[in-house]
Amino acid sequence: MSTVQVEVQGLSKNFFDPSRGEVRAVQEVNFECRGSEIFGLLGANGAGKTTTLRTISTVLQPTAGTARVLGHDVVSDPVEVRRNLGFYSASTALYPRLTARETLTLFARVNKYPAERTRSRVEEMIERFGLGDYAGARIEKLSSGMKQKVSIARTVVHDPPVLIFDEPTVGLDVLNALDLQKAIQELRDDGKAILFSTHIMSEAERLCDRIAIIDKGRIRACDDLEGLRAATSQHYLEDIFVHYVTGNDTTA
Amino acid sequence: MDWTAIRLLYLSELRAAMRERAVLINGILIPLLMYPLMMWVMFSGILFVTARFESFASRVEIAGLPAEHRGLLERLEEDEGRIEITEVEAPTTRAATAYREEVENRLLAGELDAALIFETIVDPPGNAEVLLLSNGSSDPSQAARGRLERALSAERSAWLDRIAEQHGLEGAEWQVFEVRSNNLATGRQMGQFVMGMMIPLFFVIMIANGCVYPAIDSTAGERERNTWETTSTLATRRIHIVTAKYLYVATMGLVAGALNAAAMVVSFRSFLGPLLARLGGGDGSAFAFELPLTSLPVLLLTAVLLGALIAAAMMILAAFARTFKEGQSMVTPVILLVIFPVLVLNDPSMEFTPALAGIPVVNVVLLLRQAIAGNVLWLQLGITVLANGAAIAACLWLASRILRVEEIATGSFEGNLFQFLRQHWRPAGGKA
Repeated sequence: MSTVQVEVQGLSKNFFDPSRGEVRAVQEVNFECRGSEIFGLLGANGAGKTTTLRTISTVLQPTAGTARVLGHDVVSDPVEVRRNLGFYSASTALYPRLTARETLTLFARVNKYPAERTRSRVEEMIERFGLGDYAGARIEKLSSGMKQKVSIARTVVHDPPVLIFDEPTVGLDVLNALDLQKAIQELRDDGKAILFSTHIMSEAERLCDRIAIIDKGRIRACDDLEGLRAATSQHYLEDIFVHYVTGNDTTA
Repeated sequence: MDWTAIRLLYLSELRAAMRERAVLINGILIPLLMYPLMMWVMFSGILFVTARFESFASRVEIAGLPAEHRGLLERLEEDEGRIEITEVEAPTTRAATAYREEVENRLLAGELDAALIFETIVDPPGNAEVLLLSNGSSDPSQAARGRLERALSAERSAWLDRIAEQHGLEGAEWQVFEVRSNNLATGRQMGQFVMGMMIPLFFVIMIANGCVYPAIDSTAGERERNTWETTSTLATRRIHIVTAKYLYVATMGLVAGALNAAAMVVSFRSFLGPLLARLGGGDGSAFAFELPLTSLPVLLLTAVLLGALIAAAMMILAAFARTFKEGQSMVTPVILLVIFPVLVLNDPSMEFTPALAGIPVVNVVLLLRQAIAGNVLWLQLGITVLANGAAIAACLWLASRILRVEEIATGSFEGNLFQFLRQHWRPAGGKA
């Protein structure tokens, strides 16, 4: 069995909102993710998925608890965490005035990929994601499908062992979404530990090896699909999700 | 410090900036082309006015010209430009008022440009009270008035010379004062004086102008484009990302200032010198626009200090903006704040004292003016470097404190610098 790459223990994140006061976005979340695994965070909008992933990726600081990536703590060693991590989100955009090749080179170099191997790695990514004809074009000139491919390429260009995909298919058409899912599966097969958040049940069902159902900042259940089915006596993930989030049995 | 990451991010910011039209226009084209364009406009304007002046004839009417002053007509015709003179008899005393009204109406209607009425002939013969009528709101009328005044003045001098001669006096005897003025400043010094008045003013404006777009673009612009989160996941400390951005903004300011100063010197030498010579009718040696060699390091130093200070101030304010528009409104006060002292100081009599050397921006302007005049005041220079260095360090310290606050780094803080200071400032080891 692969080693644990991401460990999250008692992770909490509070925000201060001027109108609502203290908001507890994530509360005592625990999970771990291993290599060659897609770990899904399944939850409705505002459930705390993005906050959890942003905290693991060091964009946010936890209020309590710990998160470690390859043993590096997100608070005390954020640079090492980021070096071992690729973060992709539907809301993370690319620099519009750089070309695809320049973007990949920048991310490889700043993320400490060996300088002497950067050029060949960038060309490998260009080849792998079918960017050859557009590698010299500025990002702002690319179609959204091509931008998405460049985004995935820049997420993995420094060959990080851990990847985070935060609702990656939001806003994509069916074909582009399927392309992306295929790419994520390939990355899992390459041995990466993948944290994947979504609110789309079919996507989680198709991709994830294990699923954590998150609601109001808390993880309500965490197991593989078979385990969740067994625990709830429900077959469909949608029903399982409703079971944990509302406490109602939709098949009754 | 992770200088590799800083260098890579800095170069990528610069590369992206060179592909942005607004940065190229504000940071390079305007500083570079402003003076040639200004000079071209001045040249064209002067040529246009000259050509226009030469193209039309001044229509003047002279009433009651005494026989002793017929030379006035010749003097008018000798003056530059065409002239149409209508000479009329002096109106009788009874008709004088009606004649004057009629002339005034023609002047106001634009049928006549100026009129000279010899109203009363007084003793001794040749002396007269003269009324010069013109329309101050009309260019041709103003030009005609000028010609009449010049001709009258010349005629008066000639008349006085003749009278003096009749009394056996030489010109020098009745002149009392014969003033001969001699400007001891060399053409080079005159040029340096003019440049000393202009370079600091535009230098500061151009550096601020060069910093504005990059400062907003690299902070609020990143948030607006959703690239800030992408940047903040890079494997380097956030302070290194900010350092790279800061160096980029300061560089753009420095480049704008340096290009502007170079363009000014070249434009002044190529256009303004010949232009002033043409206007003054001289040989062009009155103004020599050359910067002393010693001023070049000072110019570079001041560009660095100003660029670094303005960039830091602008980035502090722009850090609170979530959109480009917000950034523009937050950064505008910095521009006004740096331009105001320059406008106030645009008095050549202002002395560069050690006390003034302690005031950022003001000290840089005065140091630059002195350097252009060929003076390097070492004490003031040292104080200037220290004062600006301290101001830059304070700005960067404040910026690092601000960016440590998560709401600001993620763009969820709703407010500006002053609201931030109110909420987070704790003098004795506060929250921030």
